Formats: sequence, C-alpha cells, structure tokens
Amino acid sequence: MRRCPACAVDVEGTWARCPLCRGDLTGEAAPGPRPDVPLRFSRRRVLRALFLVSLGVIALSFLAQLLFRPGPEGIGVLRSLWLGIAALWLVVLMAVRKRRNLAKSIVYLVILVSGVSVYWDYLSGWTAWSLTYEVPILCAASVIGLLVTARVTRMKLEEYLVYSGLTVLLGLTPIVFLALGWVTTPLPSAICGALCVVAVALLLTVRGAAVRHELAQRLHL
Amino acid sequence: MSRRHWVRLDNASNIFLAARSDVDPKVFRMSAETDHEVDPVLLQEALDITYARFPLYHAVLRRGVFWYYLQDSDLHPQVRPDLEPSCAPIYQSDRRTLLFRVLHHRRRISLEVFHALSDGTGALWFLTDLVTVYARLRARALDGTTAQDEEDEARPGSAERPDPAPEAVGTHPGAEAAEEVHELAVDSFAHYFRRRSPPAASPAEHEAEFSREAAPAVLTVQEARQRERSRRQVRAAAGPAAPRPSARRVHRVRGTRTPDFRTRVVELSMPVGPVLALAKREGVALTMYLTAVFFDAVRRSAGDLGAARTMGASVPVNLRQFFPSTSARNFFATIRVEHTFGEGDAAADAVGAIARHLQEEFDAEATPEKLERRLRRLIRVERLPFARIVPRPLKDALLRAINHGTNRGLTVAVSNLGRVTLPEPAESQVGRMLFEVSAVRPQFCAMSHAGQLTLAFTSPFVQTDHVREFARLLSGAGVDVTVAAARTTEEELAEGAP
Repeated sequence: MRRCPACAVDVEGTWARCPLCRGDLTGEAAPGPRPDVPLRFSRRRVLRALFLVSLGVIALSFLAQLLFRPGPEGIGVLRSLWLGIAALWLVVLMAVRKRRNLAKSIVYLVILVSGVSVYWDYLSGWTAWSLTYEVPILCAASVIGLLVTARVTRMKLEEYLVYSGLTVLLGLTPIVFLALGWVTTPLPSAICGALCVVAVALLLTVRGAAVRHELAQRLHL
Repeated sequence: MSRRHWVRLDNASNIFLAARSDVDPKVFRMSAETDHEVDPVLLQEALDITYARFPLYHAVLRRGVFWYYLQDSDLHPQVRPDLEPSCAPIYQSDRRTLLFRVLHHRRRISLEVFHALSDGTGALWFLTDLVTVYARLRARALDGTTAQDEEDEARPGSAERPDPAPEAVGTHPGAEAAEEVHELAVDSFAHYFRRRSPPAASPAEHEAEFSREAAPAVLTVQEARQRERSRRQVRAAAGPAAPRPSARRVHRVRGTRTPDFRTRVVELSMPVGPVLALAKREGVALTMYLTAVFFDAVRRSAGDLGAARTMGASVPVNLRQFFPSTSARNFFATIRVEHTFGEGDAAADAVGAIARHLQEEFDAEATPEKLERRLRRLIRVERLPFARIVPRPLKDALLRAINHGTNRGLTVAVSNLGRVTLPEPAESQVGRMLFEVSAVRPQFCAMSHAGQLTLAFTSPFVQTDHVREFARLLSGAGVDVTVAAARTTEEELAEGAP
C-alpha cells in the first residue's frame, strides 16, 4: 500500500499522488477496491433545452397566426405551410418525448392534433371540417390503433388500460358535436361515437374488475 | 391475468422523490468486502434466494394522480459488474424497473437502493441475508458437498461463537440512539426475519406479504403502540415538536461540481478501537465525536468562516430502536445539532468541547418521549386529509420547497449505521463494510464491522479538503487511517489510465 507522509495516511489503489492533498506518495501501489469509471456526459440538459425552445417556437408560430386576417384573404397558402411545419414539429416532439410509453403517447397525440386542427379550422375561416372529419376520424383511429399497438408490442393490460379508457372517452366527444349540431356531415361522428360506445361496454363488462382496480390505484386518496 | 398488489408511498418516502436531482439521485450504497474475488455466478444464485425472501424488493414505483405507489412486479434482478459511478440514479419515471441493484467489483459486493424504498437499516437486512447466503453457497462449492434446500437448513447457530458484548460507548443517555449495534446472528436474525416468506410461497401469500412489507413503517408501528398505550394508560403528549429555529447564519460548503455530476466518494478506514477510545475520553458517543471532528475539519478547510460561523448537521436516528418494527421501509427521524464557532475562547472550539456540546443537544432530542412525539406527528401527516387530496405534482413541489428550506440550515450530514455482526459463515469471510449515500452537501456515513470502522465521505463537489483535514485530525490523534477514493475528475482518471 502507498502512503502519504503529509497526511500520515495509507492510500489504497494506484494513485500517483495523494487523493486528499495531491502530495507525492511513497511505497508500492496495489489495485484499489474501487473501479475507475470513465466520465460520461448525458445529453439530458441539452435535450431539455432543445425541447423547451421548440415548444416556445411552436407556441409563437401558432400565436403569430392571430396577427393575420382569418380566411383565405389572410396570408393564403403560406399559412398552411407554416402551420403544417409547426404541427409536424409538435407531433414529432411529443412522440419522441413519450417514446417510452406508446399508449400515453397516443393519447397525447389525439389531444394535440385535435386541438391544432380546431385552431387551424378557426384560422382558415371556420368551415367545421375539423369537428366534422378530423376529430372523429382521429379518435376512432386512436381507439383501434391503441389496441393494435398493445397487441403488437405485447403490452400488459395494466400498462394501457387507463390510456385505452381515455381514448374511448375522447372518442365519445364527437357525439356531443353531433348533438349540438356543430358538424356538417353526421356520418364520421356517428361511426366514431358508436365504436366508442361499444368499446366502453366491452371495457366495463369484459375488463370491469381490472378497470376498477386500475382506477382505484391511480385515483387512490 | 393477475392484478398486482400495490401500496401507496408514504409521505416520509415521498420526500426522496421530490428532492432528487441530477446531482443527488437519492440512492445509497452498502458494500461488504469479502476475503476473495467475488464469484458472480454464486452471487446471482444468492440474490435469487434472497430476493424471494424479501417481497418489498419486488416493488416498482408508479405514479398515480394523488400518490406514488409501490407495485409488486415479477421482474428478476441480475447482479452486475460495478461499471457506473457509485450511487448512480436508479428510479426513472416512465421506466418500470426494480428500485435496487446488486453489484460486484473485485472483493466487494454492493447493494444500491433508491431511498424511497428502504432506509439503511432495511437495506442492511437485505445485504446481510445476501452475503450470508452467498458465503454459505461458496462454502458448499469449496467443500464440494451436495447442495441441500437452502430453506430446510437451520439458521446458522452461533452458540459456539457468541457475539462479543457491545462495547460501552459514551456516558450519556442518548448514546444508545446514536450507537446502534446490529447483531444479526441467531435470535435477532430469527426475530427480524421471522415473517419473511419462504421462496415457495403461494401467489396469494406473496401478495399479502407484499402489501404488508410495503406498508408505510409508521403505520405498522402505530397498532402496536396503541395497544401498548391503552394498556399503560399513558396520556398522549400534545403539541408537535417544533424544530429548533436557527437565528444564526449557517455555513454552507461550496465547491466545483463534479464533471458528470457523479457523487464524489472518499472512504476512510480505521480500526474502531482507537477512535472509540478518543470518543470515550471526551465522554461522548462515537457519532457525536465524529460529527465534532467533521465540523472542525470543515472549519479548517474553509479558512475564514466570515459571518456564517454556525455549522449544522443532520443526524438520522433509527426509530426501530424505540418503536419495534420489522418494516424495512423508511423509518427514521433526523435530529439537527449545531455549533457556532468563535463564541467562546479557543477551548470552546476544541473538538472535545464541540463534541460534548453536540452530545447535549442530541441527548435533549433523542429521548423516547420526544421521538414518540415526532413519530406521532409523522403518523398525523400520513393521515392528514389535506395531504391526501393534493395532487401529486403539487405535493412534489411543496415537499421540494420544504426540503430546500431544511437544506439551508445544514452544513453537513452524518449517518452512523453502527456496529454490524453477520451470521456465520459470512462473518468470518467479510472484512470491511461500507455505507455511502448520494449527497447534496458534504456528508459521511459510518459503519463498523470486524473491528474496522469505515467512514465514506460523499459530496457533490470535486474538493476533498474537508476529508483531508478530517483524516489529518484523526491520524494526528494516533489513529491508523487508510484512504480509498474513487477517481472523479478528468485529471484523476487520466492519471489512473494505464
């Protein structure tokens, strides 16, 4: 074992200089009890900064649209390009961020994309295309998509049950649009609503106990 | 499909989730140094056996709307070579992983645990079992005898090798709170582990076991306490224990963060006898003596303290000593002691005087009555309606703020796990044992085994000046100190490269 005369201590390991005072050591070196672990830099801080900056840019892009007049007489096709890029960026960002939980990521995407399309519809002079087609189709697709994803990736029931429930609940909202007469063509909302009513019924009958258990766990007071 | 058992995480453990950061992932490590290179295959076998006995360690952490909760899992732990910095993060949200890891490097077996799962004492039970099973498997492998069923074998008796009587430490009544003795042989072993299930327990038993083991420790104690209280008809003392406010400015150590935010670890090993003698000469318990040396070391390394002449240390006390519980969950209270330099003459700032002063402060707080009041407060917080309806993210923010406030009054932290005795054949195969914890401020954890006292200093900073002063104070007092450090800076790692 080596020794530091200045500190009057023995030093384990192959240190050339005293780890405490950086002074010279005397004696024979022997392997120490601890491994030398190389430095490793995580990119977490960089990624977090990029994420926040991206969110800021996207939010500003959406807000900036309010400066132009609504409808086609505003900035025309340029708006579609701009919004398209911002929306795509947002979708990719969320997909990457929630990549470890596919079920959750699907719920996030439904909410984000629905929100963006309703806003886009409003900006381009409200023709109700978002509520008529976009939202119902997206919701119905997400209910089916989640089930397919869960099956393909062999997710455990407890991992996707809550998100499955959420997509189904979101899928029931087009029925409200239908009832309030906010849609121009009733068919997409009707199909989506019917699909989700069936899904709710199935969830509660076939997986009733699991649903109750999961909700009790998640909402435990 | 089986529905997994789950137990919500108690408020005391919640603080570790709220307070964890890049610098301090709230992980602690406990190691045992054997007399041979560790055999990973046998260690894995031992881990499998031990893991089956500890349902709590099967837990993964999940997030609900109002609480975090521990959920049973069917994951299988793997022993791994020690390739990451000590106390590297374990819990990552959105990833369902076990909350502990078992590592080996040369002669060391290390257990790392996320602090929200268990505390030092709880982890020591697991490590003890792991090392004991490992030692037994190894003894068999060396003998070449056939392996019998691990569970059929009686726990190793130590009648022929009784534990030495605990050495008298300190003369103050609070000494027993600071100086623990873990004798995990024969009876105490059976006592601690009597409720652990054999590996072949039925699934239903395992689930019930999990729920019991994962329950908040304070609540496991209360039933027993209530029975006892009604029997004795002791009147409940009223009023929460108010933490002593510190009007003076508290010195806080500053420094350069380590390059990749790893915990800086320097361990000092020494024979326990001479240090105990030093403490005894001052008439104080070992923990308070070492805390006083730590204060003096920080003062010496800081040069001029300026206006912030007060130093505060937090010292955890294992509540199981006072309120018997076999729960391995977090079950401790921290006591804050402080000393202000430059208030009296030079004699008042000598290590002995500081130690006696700290011991008085500690003794005043570490009485069974005061600790019971703290315990009752913990239980009250656990049952507080307000604490229940606050959504989890908000609760995290509140706890983080509370933690930040507590940190402002602390210079260092000291944790002493006390003297440990292992059951045979582990006892004779294990030398030093170490305990270290990721830290947001300079800190050390002490533990003694086989006559060797180890102090593992951890810090978020590169600087080791306080450790140097600490080592010099002890070596100056005639103690043989051995230093082992983990290379942390670029320069040190380059120097170590062949």
